[in-house]
Amino acid sequence: MHIILVEDDAALGAAIHKALEHQAYTVSWFRDGREALLALKDQTADLVLLDLGLPGKDGLHVLKEARRQHVKTPVIVMTARDAVEDRIRGLDAGADDYMVKPFHIDELGARIRSLTRRAQGLADNRIEAGVLSMDIAASRITFRGEPVELTRREFALLRILMERAGRIVRRENLENSLYGLDNEVGSGALEVLVHALRRKLSFETIRTVRGFGYMIPLEPK
Amino acid sequence: MTPASLRGRLRWLIILVLAAVLLPLGLLSLQRTLEEVDELSDGRLAQAARTLDTLTEHAGIDALHIDPERRIVVPIAAPSRESDRKAERTFESEVGFQMFDQAGRIILTTANLQQLPPPDAGEAGFRDLRHGRHLWRIYTLTDEDKGLVIRAGERYDSRHEIMHALWLDHGLPLLFGLPLMALLTGWAVRRGLRPLDILTERLSGREPGSRVPVTLDHPPRELQPVLDALNDQLTRLEDAVEREHRFSADMAHELRTPLAATLINLENAIDADDAAESARSLVSAQHGITVLTRRIEQLLALSRLEARAAASPPTAVDLVALAGDVIDELAPVIAEAGAELAFSPPPAALTVAGYEAALFALLRNLIENALRHVPADGHVQLSIGRGPSGVQLDVIDDGPGIPAEHRADVFARFHREPGQRDDGYGLGLSIVQRAAQLHGASIDLLDAPGGRGLWVRVVFAR
Repeated sequence: MHIILVEDDAALGAAIHKALEHQAYTVSWFRDGREALLALKDQTADLVLLDLGLPGKDGLHVLKEARRQHVKTPVIVMTARDAVEDRIRGLDAGADDYMVKPFHIDELGARIRSLTRRAQGLADNRIEAGVLSMDIAASRITFRGEPVELTRREFALLRILMERAGRIVRRENLENSLYGLDNEVGSGALEVLVHALRRKLSFETIRTVRGFGYMIPLEPK
Repeated sequence: MTPASLRGRLRWLIILVLAAVLLPLGLLSLQRTLEEVDELSDGRLAQAARTLDTLTEHAGIDALHIDPERRIVVPIAAPSRESDRKAERTFESEVGFQMFDQAGRIILTTANLQQLPPPDAGEAGFRDLRHGRHLWRIYTLTDEDKGLVIRAGERYDSRHEIMHALWLDHGLPLLFGLPLMALLTGWAVRRGLRPLDILTERLSGREPGSRVPVTLDHPPRELQPVLDALNDQLTRLEDAVEREHRFSADMAHELRTPLAATLINLENAIDADDAAESARSLVSAQHGITVLTRRIEQLLALSRLEARAAASPPTAVDLVALAGDVIDELAPVIAEAGAELAFSPPPAALTVAGYEAALFALLRNLIENALRHVPADGHVQLSIGRGPSGVQLDVIDDGPGIPAEHRADVFARFHREPGQRDDGYGLGLSIVQRAAQLHGASIDLLDAPGGRGLWVRVVFAR
């Protein structure tokens, strides 16, 4: 899951970046409104965390501009402005949720889950795909009823594949989601990750569509 | 006492003006009319006397076949007013005639003048005479040729009757007209001052604290300046409120952002997978607390400066000694920054009239800002001296500087240059500016002499 973080404050940006990576999200961090707008227009992110008090270009402005250009990515606005009018203005500008600083990282995590869940049309934090079951909130996986320990990256990969179970997910999309925009990814990194995941589950859980991508087939239970 | 009403005043003034013009005009015209009536009546009287004279033209007194020893009394009944009115002869007055011979003996008289004594010899023309209960207007005509003296008389009270009628004709319209005019004037004034009422309605119908400009659809020329002044004030108020609003929003941002970072860093430390990662998060949290502390101190300094503006009188402050104190206090910052601070104090004290705490804040923020914006091997140079226009304070650094086009903005509170390190110039320069304002000092941002960095010059004008 790829999150764009737009925050000009170095300390807060670093803290959120770290916390979100810890929760198995891929984070691209921008400190400037103009850069953030460019990244948003790319539409590759699953969610945007947007600080409103940005130098250069105000966060609200970035948000309005992005919405005007039909960027549909869910946006959580982070702000120190806590007056009701400010919240209304933020939501009206196109924000999907509103976090007033300071906030707990757990709450931010819950809101991110809630928004991405909604974007994918899920009712709760549980995803089922055949014999696989995933609890997003608790980061728990069971395979044929048995719990499986996964690294963050493995978890993130499995989540994407499970969310789109029965459909092929293109490599580019997977790499984008897992490694973000900035990171230089080795060409074999995704294969290595898939290999590790297959070892922990079973080979036939993840099917390779050569040269194109991967999928988790939907099997009758 | 009820406040004077503009409408009432206007109404009374208009009525007074109208009355002042109309009443004298009416009175004058009435007086003229009465005089005319008098002259007309006199003319009629004289005419009547001449008519009588003419009747005796040819035969003279003999034509009347009057025995000189006897006199003829023509019974003329005084016309009663009742009958006159019925006959619509309102203005027919009671008249009487007398005719005397040369000896003054009466030849002919109407009954109503029977008792009137003959005229004095040589009497001619008009005169007033009291006869019985009434005052008469008498015209005497002497005809030398015929040896006749003819007298025609008219009772004054019937003439007064006419005058009364004229009085009423003139007075009644005025009597009824004036109150009607007052009524209409009231209406006209109300109508004319309607824009005032609309303005009052607009103003009283506004939400409390509303700063939306007041507008009228077709404001009269007299109200336009009032509206303009009012809206000007409202705009200024709006600006002030907007500034305050922005200030508190900025302040919230400046305080809550490091607070949020600190909180998340602490949570990261708790959730960390190993001790080393936890320690890194704790150090970040500690840094956050440091930033927060500095911002709170700056905010407090700023609010103390605001309070100072209205407080005690200025005292003489030695800037050189004060700079020494500031440098002492900044020792930890200097150590942390790793940059070199150069200050060669002038031999003698340089005093300015001012507030020590404010000047301390000014010096501290100037030096601290410079130290925070130079690289670890950078230089900050402080000098205090006497310039052409007063004591002058220079802080020169070799940091990244501020582009000329951004210099006007940096004094805005909480302003941060794009891509700047976490602790901006913002609040610091705001404090410097406020402190300088308190002392009537000017601040200039210049290019550092080395071609790189910022040169801040504060001049305390004498």
